[in-house]
Amino acid sequence: MALITYTLKTLQNSQRSLLSACSSTLRHPVGYKSAISLETLYPTSSLKITTPIFDSSNSNEKFSGYIPIKKLDITYSASSGPGGQNVNKVHTKVDLRFKLSEADWLHPDIRQKLIEIHGKKLTKEGYLVLRSDVTRFQQLNLADCLQRLRQMIRNAAEPSPTSDPETAEIIRKRHLRAVRQRLLVKREEAQRRALRQPPTIQDL
Amino acid sequence: MASRQIREKALNMLRSLPRVGIYNIRDNPGSRKTQKRGRGQHGGDKHGAGNKGSGQRQNYMRLGYETGNNPFYLRFPSENYYKGHHLKRQYPPLSLESLQTLIDLNRIDTSKPIDLAEIVKSGCYTFYPDEKQFGVHLTDEGANIFQAKVNIEVQWASETVIAAIEKNGGTITTAYFDPHSLFLLKNPKRYFQSGQAIPRRMIPPPDAIEYYTDASKRGYLADPEKVSQARLELAQKFGYELPKIEDDPDYEMLCERKDPRQIFYGLEPGWIINLKDEVILKPKDEQLIQYYSS
Repeated sequence: MALITYTLKTLQNSQRSLLSACSSTLRHPVGYKSAISLETLYPTSSLKITTPIFDSSNSNEKFSGYIPIKKLDITYSASSGPGGQNVNKVHTKVDLRFKLSEADWLHPDIRQKLIEIHGKKLTKEGYLVLRSDVTRFQQLNLADCLQRLRQMIRNAAEPSPTSDPETAEIIRKRHLRAVRQRLLVKREEAQRRALRQPPTIQDL
Repeated sequence: MASRQIREKALNMLRSLPRVGIYNIRDNPGSRKTQKRGRGQHGGDKHGAGNKGSGQRQNYMRLGYETGNNPFYLRFPSENYYKGHHLKRQYPPLSLESLQTLIDLNRIDTSKPIDLAEIVKSGCYTFYPDEKQFGVHLTDEGANIFQAKVNIEVQWASETVIAAIEKNGGTITTAYFDPHSLFLLKNPKRYFQSGQAIPRRMIPPPDAIEYYTDASKRGYLADPEKVSQARLELAQKFGYELPKIEDDPDYEMLCERKDPRQIFYGLEPGWIINLKDEVILKPKDEQLIQYYSS
């Protein structure tokens, strides 16, 4: 095995000039790439960690799943239940609220539907409140609140069922049939009970 | 090995002789013995069956039978609880709380990437590679108090842990190290003093490959673009605003990653580190360079 000797102080290569010889973290020069490096595994990828932005303008859906956390008012408090000193000290209960009428990040149709469904649950100022203290972790309770909020929005985003004349007719007939059945049973029962009574002068 | 002439002679014979078939081959001498009943002074009398007992009477005891006492193969009950335990990998835990403590006490430097070697160097964490322990499992105890911005490389981490680290603007990667590499990471100085070249890191075993190629687990073999997407999804799940990592002054440090074949940051496989003379010896031979970068 033929070797070549380099000293750390004499690294003069242009690639190595990016490094400072005295730094304890030797910056990984562009040189070493094995046969299973990420470049070979994902040739079309940019191999960079970035912060992508949710772009919902393209899709036709009313709700893309994105919730701007900054626009929500989140507060933490102590949870209830057993747990001694820890449950008293640690604020694991999450209170998530936002003013439904001013939620511009929601599609107007969804906003309207939410007001219809949850209108009675809003506070006096018009805030929709979600609370969670299911787990012992603040992060998981917050995740739970967001999951419930997302589910509420998705349910509101669902299109209301269209009234089909044929379906309406079927439902009407079903209803009448149920009424007829109920009255039939009622009459039978009444007759049975009447036959148990002793005979009157009129019968004789 | 036969000499060249003998080999050539044999090959020539093969070319000219008829096809080898069942009609022109025979067993090696002594490979089959005839089942003849022995006669005469040495083969006769008891014919190799001994005296009395099941041996002479051809009424043999079953294999493992110990003439009535509890046989060895029945003494120990099967414990399915421990089935396959010798094949399972273990990851001794390190909580986020203890990691925060180590950072606060300056035992771990957050201005450089943190890996297993760095954690062991802090002195407050040990693991034993020869006891099926494959690295550090970062646990979520202390996730609510964790505040440091780090680039950390561990072997196992749950979603809560990943969220806690990324919320503070850091990055986390889960990477696999084979047992030989783990010995190197645990005590690099001892390995360098042995004078051996740094080996290549091996790929994960089949049951672990899925984990380490998963972007949601921040696997080191996952596509970084998918990792970026997974970061955003996790931020949405756990309810925090993802800090813009590209605008961070430490962006380069936070994105620093080892190659899948690398064990140490900045050191390549094939290099020999001479600590005494402060010199690195690198291979020059083409074959070696190719091998170490394969």
